[in-house]
Amino acid sequence: MNLVAYSLVALVTLAGAAVVLSARETMRLVIGLGAFLLGMAGLYLYHGMALLAASQVFLYVGGVLVLFIFAIMALRRDPDGRARIAVRFDLGAAAVCAGLFVLLVVCLAPLAPFAGPGSGFTLEQSGALLLGDYLVQFEIVGVLLLVALVAALSMTGGGEDR
Amino acid sequence: MSETASWTGLALGAAGGLGAGLVIALAALFGVWWERKVSARIQMRFGPQQAGPFGLLQTLSDTVKLVLKEDILPARADRGPFLRAPLLVFVPIATSLLAVPLVTGWAPLDSSVGALFFLAVPSVSVIGILVGGWSSGNTYATLGGLRGASQMIAYEVPRSLSVLSVVVLAGSMRPVVMMGEWRWWWIPLLAVAFVVYLISSIAEMNRGPFDMPEAESELVAGYFADYSGIRWAIFMMSEYGSIVAASLFGAAVFLGGTHGLPGVWGLLVLIVEAILIITIIMWVKWTFPRFRSDQLMSLAWKVLTPMALLQLVVVGVVTAWL
Repeated sequence: MNLVAYSLVALVTLAGAAVVLSARETMRLVIGLGAFLLGMAGLYLYHGMALLAASQVFLYVGGVLVLFIFAIMALRRDPDGRARIAVRFDLGAAAVCAGLFVLLVVCLAPLAPFAGPGSGFTLEQSGALLLGDYLVQFEIVGVLLLVALVAALSMTGGGEDR
Repeated sequence: MSETASWTGLALGAAGGLGAGLVIALAALFGVWWERKVSARIQMRFGPQQAGPFGLLQTLSDTVKLVLKEDILPARADRGPFLRAPLLVFVPIATSLLAVPLVTGWAPLDSSVGALFFLAVPSVSVIGILVGGWSSGNTYATLGGLRGASQMIAYEVPRSLSVLSVVVLAGSMRPVVMMGEWRWWWIPLLAVAFVVYLISSIAEMNRGPFDMPEAESELVAGYFADYSGIRWAIFMMSEYGSIVAASLFGAAVFLGGTHGLPGVWGLLVLIVEAILIITIIMWVKWTFPRFRSDQLMSLAWKVLTPMALLQLVVVGVVTAWL
């Protein structure tokens, strides 16, 4: 059963990724991205990370993806009314992606095989880790996000004096 | 249902989904009738009277009409996404219903992060609204979808913060525990959080007075303007489904839910509390005029979010003092 569940979730994730790569129409691409992100949440759940899975759905599927859709809706449209993507065969980008893939496989290979579902952390353990051992890292990431936010505001020249 | 994979878990999940769908269908049948009665009383009318006792069969005959109507596919629509968008809206809402504790000490999906699950999963239906509006190939529908999405994202913040107050007070994200820990003095203490929860839930489900996305006077019907027949009915059912889910969850964690009563008695108390909240939601819709887009945003960010944060501080102080 574990194998079936894992294969199912992995299939959804990979199918979503394949749609993202192959779709010509932006809205279908976004639906593929949504399937991919939901599949990732399923993988987290499979490894026992319920909190991480719920946060993934909350922030990425419900938040970030919707912001993507906003951006797409603001795109220039074709005469027939829909935003489309120009497909280019960019060797440089493909090389970078392939290199990144190899790097990830090499780095993650020692962790394989993912034999079965993990027990993960309980809510208390996650909280104790984030606000205990990893407090500094946690706060640094928060500051990084704040810096990115301020940078985005100053780059787009937002604010009162626009 | 546990959080690990098993065949029984899969079967239970499928049964849970089917059950949630049935509950929402029944709730929509009753809810539409109840809304007509409530709105009629507010406007000094009688509402449906002819079909069955108190017009109870009115929505049943409406359903037959909706199912038999032609399912129109607009010429400029993007076929695949257009046909599937209603399900993309409905399924997350039905799924979220599973996290609500219905009986003392039992929820269909008893998860340690149940409260987060309940808040997170319905937010997926935003994508259905956007996709439905966009794939209609119609400006009104697209505008409605955009409005709905921006509104739902904005109101998720105060809604989550208001539930967070209960989580802090109960010391758990498991809805069953949150309901079990409930004490009567939570009502005065969490009054602000409950009001914020109620208002942001109404906004989250795109209902009046926050129904900018479907504003019939300017956008015709917004994101589902081009839908007809059974697909329109699924959109309608999703709206009533989210009313039911928000009311049941609100009754369970803010009003004490089953109050520790065993089995069916607890469930009955929970349902009565939920119907009370549903009636308030309908009362609000038929009393207040529609908000403007900017008023909507400033209410979310400048009023409700600070209120929810203040409530969280108060709860934090009280919890430390307990």
